[in-house]
Amino acid sequence: MIIGICAKETGLNSPVADRFGRAECYVLFDTETKEARTIENTAKNSASGAGGRAVRLLDENGVSVTLAPELGPKAMDAIKAFEISAYSYGESKTVKEALENYEAGKLEEFKTNSTESHHGLRRV
Amino acid sequence: MKIAVLSGKGGTGKTTVATNMAFNFKGAVLVDADVEEPNSHIFIKPRVTGEKSVYKNFPLVDMDRCNLCGDCGRFCKYNAILPAKNKVLVFKEICHDCGGCEIVCKRNAISYEKREIGKIHSGKGLGDIEFIYGDLNVGEVSGVKIISELREMVSDNEVVIIDSPPGPSCATVEAVEGVDYAVVVSEPTPFGVSDMKMVVEMLENMKIPFGVVVNKAGLGNDEIYDYCSGKNIEILENIPFSEEIAKLYAVGEMMCLENSKYSHYFENIIGKISKTVK
Repeated sequence: MIIGICAKETGLNSPVADRFGRAECYVLFDTETKEARTIENTAKNSASGAGGRAVRLLDENGVSVTLAPELGPKAMDAIKAFEISAYSYGESKTVKEALENYEAGKLEEFKTNSTESHHGLRRV
Repeated sequence: MKIAVLSGKGGTGKTTVATNMAFNFKGAVLVDADVEEPNSHIFIKPRVTGEKSVYKNFPLVDMDRCNLCGDCGRFCKYNAILPAKNKVLVFKEICHDCGGCEIVCKRNAISYEKREIGKIHSGKGLGDIEFIYGDLNVGEVSGVKIISELREMVSDNEVVIIDSPPGPSCATVEAVEGVDYAVVVSEPTPFGVSDMKMVVEMLENMKIPFGVVVNKAGLGNDEIYDYCSGKNIEILENIPFSEEIAKLYAVGEMMCLENSKYSHYFENIIGKISKTVK
């Protein structure tokens, strides 16, 4: 199984990212080989809909679980449609810490989007 | 003749200039194309006699035809269409209605459905001004489609004054496209001048002749005059910073309607434009 963690930098010691769809990169951890590699987030500069595009990128890289800071409504729709599980890394500071907390069963799964639409998309 | 009234910074006096110009220009049609936040109607006070909805298309995917090849998702720059595992997600509110996904789909699986994004209102206002304005629904991303429909509603034979959106955005480009002349309204403050430079660059790129109206003249500094004389940009008029003008604006009254002593500013602007645009 491959776990994709939103990260600011390369590797397991990287700080976790503050955003999902516009995270700098994703650290991909293979739970069988215990190896990690980092991919650039090619969705991060999208004009719109970065969250959905990022989910697609994770899917293309074989990710079935992602650890994220927040998930917006479009990213959540995409997570469901790609059948990926997403967990909030909560207080975890680094990718390594987030992984350890996930493996210890301490992270909460996103069942619905954790943030609302941004910009003018928010309905009043 | 079509004249756009625009600005770099918001709140510099586009609506003040556009409405008072229309009031002093016999037979002119006023179009409020600042559809995200239209406010000319507050001053023009139209009796709205016409209203129509503006629609935008979004894609519908026929899953009997779709083979989830992913072409539409790779094509869409805005990520409005996203092929997933057994279905295709469509985020209709970020779709720009470009029609591209239908073109790249080899299986002819895409058709379109329309949804309302806003309205266009029309009617006659104070001073018998023929007036139309667009109003983008709350929560919508782009008013470009409404502006393009507003433009289609006026004929080339009329004198049309367009109150444009602020800044050099997509919506502004749509509003000023094809006009004969543009009036850039700026205040003589550092912010006003800095933001004005961006629309000046936009107008130069679009090859649209333009002049500058300095509103709230007396505030700030002389940078705007140095900049304009350095670039050979005509200053059409200086409208002074005045408490009386501000008060009239705050209660939604056109300054020329309340006091004809203000009319000469706008007659002067119109006169100078008429000399430039034949």
